[in-house]
Amino acid sequence: MVRLDGVTKRFGTVTAAEDVSFALHQGEFLTILGPSGSGKTTVLRMIAGFMQPTAGTILLGGRPVSELPPHRRSIGMVFQRLALFPHMTAAGNIAYPLKMRGFPRAEIPKRVERFLALVQLHGLGDRRINELSGGQQQRVAIARALSFEPDLLLLDEPLASLDRKLREDMQLEFRRIQQELGVATINVTHDQREALVMSDRVIVMDGGRVQQAAAPQDAYRQPANRFVAGFIGVTNFLACTVLEAHDGEAEVEIGDHRCAGRSAAGGEAVGRTADAALRAEQVLIGEAGQAIAHADMLVPATVTEVIFEGDRVVYAVDAPTLGGASLRIFDHDPLHHKTRRIGETVTIGWKRRDLMVFPRDA
Amino acid sequence: MSRPSARALFVWTIVWFNLVFLALPTVVVIIASFTAGNIVAFPPDGLSLRWYASLFETDSYTDAFLRSLYVAVICTVISLPVGTLAAIAMARYRLRLAGPIQVYLLLPFTIPLIVSGLGMMLVFGEIRILGQLWPVGFAACAINLPFMIWAVAASVNNLDTDLENAAANCGAPPLVTFVTVTLPAVMPGVITGGLLMFILAFNEFIVSLMLVDARIVTLPVLVYNSIRSVITPDLAAIAVVYIVVALVTIWVLDRLVGLEVFLKSK
Repeated sequence: MVRLDGVTKRFGTVTAAEDVSFALHQGEFLTILGPSGSGKTTVLRMIAGFMQPTAGTILLGGRPVSELPPHRRSIGMVFQRLALFPHMTAAGNIAYPLKMRGFPRAEIPKRVERFLALVQLHGLGDRRINELSGGQQQRVAIARALSFEPDLLLLDEPLASLDRKLREDMQLEFRRIQQELGVATINVTHDQREALVMSDRVIVMDGGRVQQAAAPQDAYRQPANRFVAGFIGVTNFLACTVLEAHDGEAEVEIGDHRCAGRSAAGGEAVGRTADAALRAEQVLIGEAGQAIAHADMLVPATVTEVIFEGDRVVYAVDAPTLGGASLRIFDHDPLHHKTRRIGETVTIGWKRRDLMVFPRDA
Repeated sequence: MSRPSARALFVWTIVWFNLVFLALPTVVVIIASFTAGNIVAFPPDGLSLRWYASLFETDSYTDAFLRSLYVAVICTVISLPVGTLAAIAMARYRLRLAGPIQVYLLLPFTIPLIVSGLGMMLVFGEIRILGQLWPVGFAACAINLPFMIWAVAASVNNLDTDLENAAANCGAPPLVTFVTVTLPAVMPGVITGGLLMFILAFNEFIVSLMLVDARIVTLPVLVYNSIRSVITPDLAAIAVVYIVVALVTIWVLDRLVGLEVFLKSK
């Protein structure tokens, strides 16, 4: 459906995107996730045709599109600030691409009605854009991008400006419409939650480069590197020295402790400094001096911060024997677990396979 | 004195100050124009429409009025495309010389009118178009163009920067995008600017004074010539004509754009 081969974009001496390659299949929902400045929007704009790649090729439906201006590409796009036409009604906006793409006149009103219904805006077609609420404007923008049934739908962080509740509703709404129409979709966002909720596949970008391309669960369970581990989820990083590394396992020294963890590193990492990563929800808390069920590693710690958030409690603890590290811990079952107090001495622990080791670049 | 009444005093002082200095002179002129006497006086010496009748009967007045109208139309017709395109180009695209161009466009506005008038008189004389009426409209356009550009630029700056991309994405080629999306979206600014240019050219005095001769005097110049002799009540009647033209312009603006939009865009 869509393929990028070694796509690179430079602005003067700045490289916004470097050697980006991926393919997207019919009906697939792909999210490009990354912080601002990671190059994700640049990639999207090159696919839409608003920018030309400096190097590499973009193929749509198997054909290279470098010569094809944006208006000749069959791509629907929902823009960050929506870019609805202010002088038209909601229906006018949705009908615009149909008129421009030469749909039969008689068919246009029926189609507009169908898509108004699809985004749940029955009867609001006559409203002007400024008479609609933020969420309704979102829906008009979605309908406009989809009414001509494009081969590809691009979403440029259209949900970023919405409040949290509406954003979460719209995420599910997007997913529903996308699955109903089966249109291949590329979504760009810096919101890791949105990426995990909506996507079949996630591409994590940083510094213009693809860091990892994987299914949401895999990106979460097996982050390819330290950046991905830190960007998706809340992760504690502990400085460590690699003692042994082979067959996907590594033995490391963190402060006064030796522990084992998962790692893609090989023998060349031995003796080097690395980052041991522990997700906040995978660190367990137990009574001081006692063992914790299911935990392979046990480390003494002191609670320094307790934040009750309803569905979870967020702790910060200091672990002097882990090189003086401070860790963030989520307790997702606060009703059944004892809530710790600030200053309390506890034992923290984790399962052997929950520790991930990422060697630092030389 | 309690605080609310101190504030009320402050507000009412401003209101009355405004009424006295902005509205009162206009009201006085309107009333004076209905005098039955032979000199401008307030309160008027009896009531009649004789000075309005004399306006319409005096060819020099009606001719001057039509000339001013002609000048205003020329000015508006030129400034609509020029100002609109310039504003869109400057607000929308990164031009290499955007800074200098902006300063250049502001020049006629910052230089005293008497100076630009003199310059235009010399240039127009040199290329032998002095003594015709259309160059006056052209001059008014050149001098007031910043107003047009500002009005349109205010509209352009309100637009989403992705608006044209969205149109392209919908399948519209660049020219179609301009006609069906960009232009309609900035239309409030274009109408506002166009009406502003019309009224400014219609009222333009100093530059007109330097560019016209006795055969083609515009209305402001005619009024100026008249007040140097005797101030007769027909001048008050002309003043009322100006007020009516201004009101009609504001009414048109309100109908086409809406005054709230206009006031917000400033």
